[in-house]
Amino acid sequence: MDDVTSRRAEGEAPNLGRICSDVDNYYTARVARHGATPLGVDWTCQATQALRFVQLLKLCNFSEALSLNDVGCGYGALVPFLAARHPGCDVDYLGIDLSRAMIGRARRRFAGPRCRFAVGAKSPRVADYSVASGVMNVNVGYSRRAWEMFIESMLRQMHETSRRGFAVNFMVASPEQGADDEPDLMRLYKSMPEPWMRFCRAELKCSVELISNYGMKEFTLLVRQDAGAASNTLAH
Amino acid sequence: MGGLLLDNTTTDVLVRLNKRFSPDDLIEMVALQKEFGIFSSAHSLRQSFALLGIVPTDRAERDRWYRYLDKLQAYRSDVSGCNGHDRIVRALASALEAEQPMPVHFGVHRASDDDRITITTGHPVIFSLATYFTISIPTTPSRVVREQAAEAARKRRAERKMSHAALVEPRQSEKRLQLEGAVL
Repeated sequence: MDDVTSRRAEGEAPNLGRICSDVDNYYTARVARHGATPLGVDWTCQATQALRFVQLLKLCNFSEALSLNDVGCGYGALVPFLAARHPGCDVDYLGIDLSRAMIGRARRRFAGPRCRFAVGAKSPRVADYSVASGVMNVNVGYSRRAWEMFIESMLRQMHETSRRGFAVNFMVASPEQGADDEPDLMRLYKSMPEPWMRFCRAELKCSVELISNYGMKEFTLLVRQDAGAASNTLAH
Repeated sequence: MGGLLLDNTTTDVLVRLNKRFSPDDLIEMVALQKEFGIFSSAHSLRQSFALLGIVPTDRAERDRWYRYLDKLQAYRSDVSGCNGHDRIVRALASALEAEQPMPVHFGVHRASDDDRITITTGHPVIFSLATYFTISIPTTPSRVVREQAAEAARKRRAERKMSHAALVEPRQSEKRLQLEGAVL
């Protein structure tokens, strides 16, 4: 894949609102068909979903209370995982999802004073950390370039609403599968890590840690705000 | 399998099992085992397979699949003192935790030949060069199980009829005698 930064400079301006609307429709249909289950959010099973959470949460320091935005939270599967995995930590959780149907199911299951949910593309608050699992994977029928611009905007929003950092995962493209060989319209978005690592370093001025050896055909980026950049994020 | 699951369901879950434990998906399964210890004495096969999404596509069959997995505790295995359920759990754990993890192939054999769950190593997938753990589960064709169940039900009915007749006959004889006495 080309450097996403240079792609952005090519000037295509996809309609992000329309992409969000299509993503909403896609996942609303999934949850209507499969219910509040891993299949309802396009994961094969609870175990692989949990393994992804393990990687994403390596970003967080659970030795102290923290606030967490879960972007694309679906039906809130991260909530019970957090409770089981880090029972002693006080986590102020906010789940955000484009799909009202998903949020409805999440609220019915998990809503409480320290566990809230919001419908939208962007978190309405700044938290210590943000995580997004699988949000970038299903291209709902746009060109690769348009989808990458959608991803860029998601990463920027996560950066703006995270005080300490954010974590996100991508499906990995096989090394022999160059972006230029792939059809423009594709269902699953796959990428090599380097372009997105470059984007986070160059555009967001963050430090980036790559996790890729956890047995799945994907990688996770832990993106930490550099000390100087933290002050540029939105105020509390 | 056999009387508990539809034949289609058996095929469905065997395909799912053999896909998830195939050489292609082995790295993922090894990572899951390492992180969560999915196969251990702390979890039943019902819990582990539910977590891995190894369930029949047909929702109506899921309960029966879980009951079948529980029932494996009543099966014998090729290790004395170890029931079939625990034998499978231990085999899966050792395949995934080995220094050189091994793929696992699930198959079935006729219960009439050997009623134990057996574990062997070999090359059950002829188009693959990989060495597998093979878990073979005794099963009986569902038609045979149905026929056996029908035969057993017929036998029970016949026995009930006989015992009912044995109870009723003396009472009727008594009644006949009473009537005869009244007439006399």
